[in-house]
Amino acid sequence: MSPLPATPSQTVGPFFHDCLLREDRCEVTVSDEGGAQIRVEGRVIDGDGAAVPDAVIEMWHAAAFARIGTDAEGAFAFSTTRPKGVEVDRGTMQAPHLSIAVFARGLMNHLLTRMYFEDEPSTETDPILRLVPQARRPTLIARRAPDESLTPLYRFAIVLQGAGETVFFDFRSPAR
Amino acid sequence: MITTIGEIVRGDAAVFPPYLYEAYRSTLRRAPRLPLVEVPLTASELTRPRLDLSHVTAEDADLTRNAGTGGEALGQRIIVTGRVMDEGGTPVPGALLEVWQANAAGRYIHKRDDWPGPLDPNFLGIGRCLTTDAGEYRFLTVRPGAYPWGNHENAWRPAHIHFSVLAPSWSQRLVTQMYFPDDPLLELDPILNAVPDAARSRLVAAYAHDVTQPHWALGWRWDIVLAGPGATAFEAREQSAA
Repeated sequence: MSPLPATPSQTVGPFFHDCLLREDRCEVTVSDEGGAQIRVEGRVIDGDGAAVPDAVIEMWHAAAFARIGTDAEGAFAFSTTRPKGVEVDRGTMQAPHLSIAVFARGLMNHLLTRMYFEDEPSTETDPILRLVPQARRPTLIARRAPDESLTPLYRFAIVLQGAGETVFFDFRSPAR
Repeated sequence: MITTIGEIVRGDAAVFPPYLYEAYRSTLRRAPRLPLVEVPLTASELTRPRLDLSHVTAEDADLTRNAGTGGEALGQRIIVTGRVMDEGGTPVPGALLEVWQANAAGRYIHKRDDWPGPLDPNFLGIGRCLTTDAGEYRFLTVRPGAYPWGNHENAWRPAHIHFSVLAPSWSQRLVTQMYFPDDPLLELDPILNAVPDAARSRLVAAYAHDVTQPHWALGWRWDIVLAGPGATAFEAREQSAA
């Protein structure tokens, strides 16, 4: 059977807040599956280095999902459990990471990226990161911020365009 | 429409719009300029954590009443229904659909929508529902109006409803917009026109007289086909590897 024609994407536009960021928006943290709590603070920046104040970030890993809007400074923040490694295929492990989707006015399709951890030893050998040109890998690795509190804090910038442009992925079905 | 069209596309370039589409000005400083890095799908993309969907109620799908004022929204009452499927035609049950739209006068309740179109106190313009076992969804709403925007001189968006689809597989995540046929603004709209020619009509609903209810509401049908492998692809891969 020939495949059905897929539905194209369109931008999320500027007016999504009341719908996508409503208070009871189905977020979850399956706390017994993940590790300890972590906090992530980030910013979304455009090609002029200006804040993107109307983006929405979706973050997920095996044990949590969150949807966060950026503020007037382009900043977003969330707390979650520390993710565990995930299999690529049976026997091959990936380093712990957060999967991230970015939606905004002006983005005709959402962008997909990942946040890895600089203080996680397996980050260095992650099979997906190794497919990224070495010079661009740092854009995917969150920095541990010095912090007095007990919850580890990571900082992660999402640069849509220009100097330090974040690596965005196109995930393709693996060859069988 | 003559415009610079970028080459960076995520997914099938015959289906999905390029990130850079100059006529839509907001793409100029937000589209990535470096090629996307092609990588294989992994369990991270083929599954998702189980969402708490207990908040989703039948009332959420009735935008004519869900403002909670006891009053009914003004405008032409319409039913928008269809099926969510994968590319093989298999229904996608349990997908979360979230919709938002302008009111019948073309005005959003959003605090940054400030053009002088009238607000409707009985209309929020937001709704949601879960697809049934047959992949079906259904919203009762009012037909949205066109509205002006600042993209270019005398720019007006054609009437549309925003759709967000969260399927059990993250690789099938989709945010898009549904339009109405015979709208003279469609051919002038850079956001719709950023979609490749052959795929554009898939964003336009069809009038469906069998959905129309006598003395009540006009019916529109719009099916959604999610690109990419579903959650079952991951399970099948796991089984074949076992």
